[in-house]
Amino acid sequence: MSNAHTSATTTFGDRAARFARNYYIYFVLVAVVALLSLANLDRFDLFERGNFLNPNNIINILRVSAPLLTLAGAFTLLMVSGYIDLSVGSAMSLSAVVYALLAINGTPFLAAFLITMVVGAGLGSINGFLVVRLKITPVIATLITLSLFKGVALLLVEDGVSAIKSGGGLKMPSWFNDYGREGVLLSLPAAFWVAVLVTAVLVIAQNRTLLGKYAAATGGNPTAAKLSGINTGKVVFLLYVIVGVTAALAGIARSSFMSLGDPLSGDGMELTAILVVLLGGTAFSGGEGRVLRSFIGALIIMALTVGMLTLVPAYYQTLVLGTALLAAAASNHLVSRKEAGS
Amino acid sequence: MTAQPTPVLQVEGLTKDFPGVRAVDDVSFSIERSTIHCLVGENGAGKSTLVKMLTGALRPTSGTMTVSGAPYEPHNPNDARRGGIATLFQELHVVDQLTVQENLTLGMERSRFGFLVSSDLDDRVVGTLAAIEPSIDPSARVSSLSVAQKQIVEIARAASSGASVIIMDEPTAALSEREVERLFAVIRRLRETDVTVIYISHKLDEIFELGDAVTVLRDGRHIATRPLSQVAGPPELIEMMIGRAVLQNYTPRTTVSEETVLTADGLTNDLLKDVSFHIKRGEVVGFYGLVGAGKTEIARALFAADKVAGSIEFNGRPVGRSPKDAIRSGIALVPEERRTQGLFTSLSVRRNISVMNTRKLSSSGVFRSADEKAAAIEYVRKLSIATDSIEKYAEKLSGGNQQKVVLAKCLFADADLLLLDEPTRGVDVGAKTEIYDIIRRLADSGTSVAVFSSELEEVLGICDRIFLLVSGSLAEEVKNGPDADAAHILNVVTGGERRAAP
Repeated sequence: MSNAHTSATTTFGDRAARFARNYYIYFVLVAVVALLSLANLDRFDLFERGNFLNPNNIINILRVSAPLLTLAGAFTLLMVSGYIDLSVGSAMSLSAVVYALLAINGTPFLAAFLITMVVGAGLGSINGFLVVRLKITPVIATLITLSLFKGVALLLVEDGVSAIKSGGGLKMPSWFNDYGREGVLLSLPAAFWVAVLVTAVLVIAQNRTLLGKYAAATGGNPTAAKLSGINTGKVVFLLYVIVGVTAALAGIARSSFMSLGDPLSGDGMELTAILVVLLGGTAFSGGEGRVLRSFIGALIIMALTVGMLTLVPAYYQTLVLGTALLAAAASNHLVSRKEAGS
Repeated sequence: MTAQPTPVLQVEGLTKDFPGVRAVDDVSFSIERSTIHCLVGENGAGKSTLVKMLTGALRPTSGTMTVSGAPYEPHNPNDARRGGIATLFQELHVVDQLTVQENLTLGMERSRFGFLVSSDLDDRVVGTLAAIEPSIDPSARVSSLSVAQKQIVEIARAASSGASVIIMDEPTAALSEREVERLFAVIRRLRETDVTVIYISHKLDEIFELGDAVTVLRDGRHIATRPLSQVAGPPELIEMMIGRAVLQNYTPRTTVSEETVLTADGLTNDLLKDVSFHIKRGEVVGFYGLVGAGKTEIARALFAADKVAGSIEFNGRPVGRSPKDAIRSGIALVPEERRTQGLFTSLSVRRNISVMNTRKLSSSGVFRSADEKAAAIEYVRKLSIATDSIEKYAEKLSGGNQQKVVLAKCLFADADLLLLDEPTRGVDVGAKTEIYDIIRRLADSGTSVAVFSSELEEVLGICDRIFLLVSGSLAEEVKNGPDADAAHILNVVTGGERRAAP
């Protein structure tokens, strides 16, 4: 009886809450950038002395951000559907090694690029198979593949060498570095623009395609989705494949930036990705989340990471990441509980 | 001779066998197009089995179904939907995170290369919603709607998916009175748009207010299908539901003492309204009412599992503030959901029996396995639990034996007051009788028992006094005996008396 009237009209409080949920991430970005540019940034010597907002510094941050920016959107859609992929870091490492191996053995750029993407799709479909067909809990299934993919990446690197790089008669082709470092537009490299392109495609996918809507329905209420005739298994499988492809693109970006194929280069990426997605307001329980907000979340995390490199000793950084994750998860939980109650 | 219009749904000789029971027995009836057709029967009459066959969740053992004259053999809910039959389940199947309109088109979207394209579908679903409930904004997020509004969204979805029959299973269980009125208006508007509604409810006043025709089932058999205008009133319907006489094997017991063990005074919470009663030592009392009348709420309040206003005194002292306190003071609860709340299905019979009272089996923190074993063997024998070993996992037992294990667990905890919530649900007839025997023996030995049940036969069979619950209030107290009037009891709990009284 009491709730018969309340839901018909939206109160000012409701609208304010929705506004805050939709746009807070942009305020956070502005605040973080403002704070970092106020700090004593003579110490930004990693890249360039001077202010945080120095164009060269910005360009450097965006260059190293490319892998995370590439990954964030697809990871968001997967979490919106209520699933998770802990193997993204290993998939990224393995892709980086494959790409470097292809390049150092004389494969042309475009062929190496496409083959690595296919490998990424294959890794994603392994996850999809384990989760959708064998019905293994996503966390367990992708923990298993985290270990498997990393194991294969380590095997591909010869004994006694820590990574695929020039030496021993083989030499990286000169183009290898360009993709991740050489400015092509606004002094930013192709890897960054690919990340922007991937995000744009996924924003459209989320808003305008069946996949985007079905991901939200699958994560929001799986039973309702199934009863509506949606093949939720197919939706989830496809999302794992997309995450695999973006992990491969992230691996290419990382290995190109570092000029080597490092089998450990993606370590910890799954945690950063989760942090980014939670920061962007994606619900852990599924159904809720926006690709674009995760992209902004990734920018925030990268700005903070670069800031941390100079302001916080290296051995504190993992602890800081963990604390940030805890804060993001706790606030996420509070928000979803509040929404469930309203 | 006028041509008979084809019925929208017709079932012929429909039968469903489960191991050991025939749940639906040779049922034949038909439903006229654009009517509101009510389906009534006591618990266990076969209503839900019949509905499951209509929705494709179960396959009939024999018999046929036809929809608008065409054979209808659904294998799953999607088949049913394609066949023109949609179901509104008690739990809501909407996606909170999507808008109303997105929910209405879910699964029916038009697309080109995976891209959503706008089509007449959007106009149609919005039109359907506006026709049955104009106050809901199609662009609102479903999470902002009330339960009643979500239900209407689901009805609109079923209607716009082209369903000619919508089955509604107790749709008013979670609604307030005003929301019920609104739902009824929606259902009547549906009928005008050529949709047939199969309406399942225990509330007979609703049936007489809303229905065009009624089908009565009893013990899996079809009793009657009639226009409601040809049913004299709730008493006649009740008579059809329960038959001549309810099987009564209750004999007044002499071992009830005059000493009061539990006094509840003015229990009030979200659902309960000022409920007061007392229970004597060695007495079996029954709480009888429909789903949502407050049975489980009273049980949980007595067990201190839920907060409730009012006072509960047990053996002269207030019960504590948690189930732990309740157990210590001698109250044990056998919950309704045996498998999820009462039993550790992945533990052995032995460890299930001891789990509520490990204190009794340990000295200074050291556990005495030998005593545990002895206790388990004793209770398996006492309650004749059919298991080949006390080490057998509880999940391997039949429903009746599982329930006995839960009882044993409570007895081992030295309970003075046993709260049994639907003690024989999902239990076969033989085990039912044994559980009733156990309850009587316990009461004879001085334990008080409260049975919370939605089966009239059960409370009339074993309880000394029966409290009738209607929408959270204690409507009446009935002393059991040869002259207890089953029809009167049913009339009270189904709301027949409520409408009569001011």
